[in-house]
Amino acid sequence: MKWKFDSQHILKSKITWAVVAELLILLVCLIIRPEFFEISYQESTGMLYGSIIDILNRSSEITIIALGMTLVIALAGTDLSVGAVVALSGAIGLKLMRWDMSEYPTAGNYSVTPLIWVFLVALGICFLFGCFNGLMVSRFGLQPIIATLVLMVAGRGVAQIITNGRQMTTNFAPFKFISQGSVLFLPMPIIITAVIFILMVLLTRKTSFGMFVEAVGINPRASRVSGLRSSLIIFSAYAITGLLAGISGLIYASRIGQNDSNNAGINYEMDAILAVVIGGTSMSGGKFSLAGTVMGSIIIRTIITFVYYFGVAAEAIMAFKALIVLVVIVLQAEPVREFISKRRKARKTAIRGELHG
Amino acid sequence: MPDKRILEMKGIEIQFPGVKALDKVDFDLIAGEVHALLGENGAGKSTLIKCLTGVHHMDAGKIIYDGKEITPTSPQAAINMGISTVFQEINLCQNLTVAENIFVGRLPMKRRHRIDWKGINNRASELLKRFNIHIDVTRPLDYFSTGIQQMVSIARAVDIKAKILILDEPTSSLDENEVERLFDVVRELKKSGMGIIFITHFLDQAFVISDRLTVLRNGRLVGDFYARNISKIELVRQMIGKDMEQIFALKRPTVAADATNMLDVESLGIASKVADVSFTLKTGELIGFAGLLGSGRTETAEMIFGVTRAEHGTIKIHDREVRIHSPLDAINQQMAFCPEDRKRDGIIGDLSVRENISLVVQSRRGIFNPMSIKEQAELADQYIQLLGIATPDAEKKVGELSGGNQQKVILARWMATQPDLLILDEPTRGIDVGAKAEIQRLMLKMCAEGVSVIFISSELDEILRCANRVIVMRDRCKAGELPGESSRQEDILHVIAEGTATGEEA
Repeated sequence: MKWKFDSQHILKSKITWAVVAELLILLVCLIIRPEFFEISYQESTGMLYGSIIDILNRSSEITIIALGMTLVIALAGTDLSVGAVVALSGAIGLKLMRWDMSEYPTAGNYSVTPLIWVFLVALGICFLFGCFNGLMVSRFGLQPIIATLVLMVAGRGVAQIITNGRQMTTNFAPFKFISQGSVLFLPMPIIITAVIFILMVLLTRKTSFGMFVEAVGINPRASRVSGLRSSLIIFSAYAITGLLAGISGLIYASRIGQNDSNNAGINYEMDAILAVVIGGTSMSGGKFSLAGTVMGSIIIRTIITFVYYFGVAAEAIMAFKALIVLVVIVLQAEPVREFISKRRKARKTAIRGELHG
Repeated sequence: MPDKRILEMKGIEIQFPGVKALDKVDFDLIAGEVHALLGENGAGKSTLIKCLTGVHHMDAGKIIYDGKEITPTSPQAAINMGISTVFQEINLCQNLTVAENIFVGRLPMKRRHRIDWKGINNRASELLKRFNIHIDVTRPLDYFSTGIQQMVSIARAVDIKAKILILDEPTSSLDENEVERLFDVVRELKKSGMGIIFITHFLDQAFVISDRLTVLRNGRLVGDFYARNISKIELVRQMIGKDMEQIFALKRPTVAADATNMLDVESLGIASKVADVSFTLKTGELIGFAGLLGSGRTETAEMIFGVTRAEHGTIKIHDREVRIHSPLDAINQQMAFCPEDRKRDGIIGDLSVRENISLVVQSRRGIFNPMSIKEQAELADQYIQLLGIATPDAEKKVGELSGGNQQKVILARWMATQPDLLILDEPTRGIDVGAKAEIQRLMLKMCAEGVSVIFISSELDEILRCANRVIVMRDRCKAGELPGESSRQEDILHVIAEGTATGEEA
């Protein structure tokens, strides 16, 4: 592919606007309080600290889910069950680590089941949940919202059953490591997210999976005539999303050191969808951008961090978040982008006209 | 008042981007007559109707309705003036009752804020009784057959005190009995002095019910005829016309005497769509499929390619029986298929030319054996050159190209798979003459290289110029098979119109 610098193209691209929005928010932070950008190194933990690092760190759970959601949305679908799967994943993980509560009544630095099995079983079941969604949509032709609504409701129920409705806590160091530990001075969640991002990019751009997803998302009929196995592709997208929601759930459980079937992953589906949309992937399917999704998720987290950092009144937080999201999304709306790029063009030609005239 | 013109449309012109959809078309309607509007797809029938009902705005011409010049601005405005339309797809709400459907949007009120349900139901069932339909109007619409539903939509249209009723392909989803019933209603309405415009693809029906027939072709008026003065053959000829503007030195493929059977189709069919179709196709042979729209040509092609699954019959390729349950199966058997509806089944508009051209090759290679972008670009560039696709570069979105170039991209997509069998469904429809000629040339070139081709087209001269044999479809089954070289258009028209062929095996 030839990369040409084309200002019209860049102005029209949605990801450009996501980056611009992020930079604007950061600029406001910079003006109000420059120390927002301070990054310090703590020798005791071997990790970098600072608001920027924090944004990246805390956005991980949503970013990981949103990467899967990007494929689902590119296929003109949506997955509402991811939040419930996050809760489920944590519940399974904690249950396995503290299998017999009576024998180990206190939360301590131990796990009954080897950690590898904790991960495999929790993620395996989440993957199966994703497969179930995929089957409902691709084979039974249910509308994605309805199909995934089933597990959205059922997922937390299953989590409650598994844990007998109890919250269990853990201080098992290896498990805590996936949220508190660090590699290369960076918190683990950032590392995990980066690895998943790279794997997803490889999956979609180094195989033809990405092109197939886009083709099926744009024109399912034509894709079928062209020999694409669209149901397999749709199925895979949901299965992958289930798996990623499971990973996200384990990170979250590790972060808070317990399972919480009622509150873990609440509204994650909405934030993930929002991240994808801010990242420039259309809800009607088609072309998608994983980098855009990461950007979208970071924007969402930046807003939240901003709100806390600058002490916006607690009751105003949701409204404030909504306001900024609204601005970002309106900036990206087709008519607005058209308008801006047209005005630019008009101004350019006007200037040229003057020069020639 | 005999011969009272209630509608006159004069010199109607409509310009769409890049094409003149209607070019100085005249049309008139007399009170108490059924006037059929005929023509192949893209001839401008719907455009003319949409102009009358205010969906499109004309660029020139005038409409005189009931003695006054009018300019309908919206379908609602047209309805208010007394011009009602019943569309092909039933435009009603399946979950409302029959009575509600008839009165929705204009529910009669009892006193101020209460709906007069009793009145509605009574009036609805009386209205339907006029059409000889005795049903429980309080049942939801989807309880009834398509025929009844169609009748309900007509009842709704008529009850709006219409002077003109437009029936746009009302019979395409009806069976024979239902059509008969519909026609009774139409005759009834005609007697009451309503002018009826009837658009259809079914010639037999047009002849049965119409007093006059107006034929359009490529946005131009061919003429209007009294049904009693014109034969079916003459009418079909008028509809299809002769595209003689440019004659190309195209040579029919020569099939080697020892050519083997490439494709062997035996009594392939789907109960409701196509009756048993059988034919053989030799290596390097070009077979043409003629017939009017809806005659089963496309359905046959889609069965062979696995787009729809045949209910019975067998397909043999190189004398070996194969199972084709999906397009992928067909692709793996070295088949290729350019579908009729380019937008719906062909192009992936938001993907680039490069991606569109490599799509099928890639789908055959599978997900984990991807072509590099460089390979894709090479493939695309090769075909852009070979087919003369007019695009600034391979990264242009296909959706932004012209129709002819989109068609070439689809052709390229399939040529890139180097197929043994190429099925082309109306590859030349709606594209300009130059692109048309080029696509025919390519098709024949592929035949010369040993590819077998099934060529479906509504343009008979095109088929006769290229095909070794012509299969004529009529009313969802194979009506005849003619040799390509020695047949004349009249022979094909005869089979299309009458269902029997002169001078060939039955």
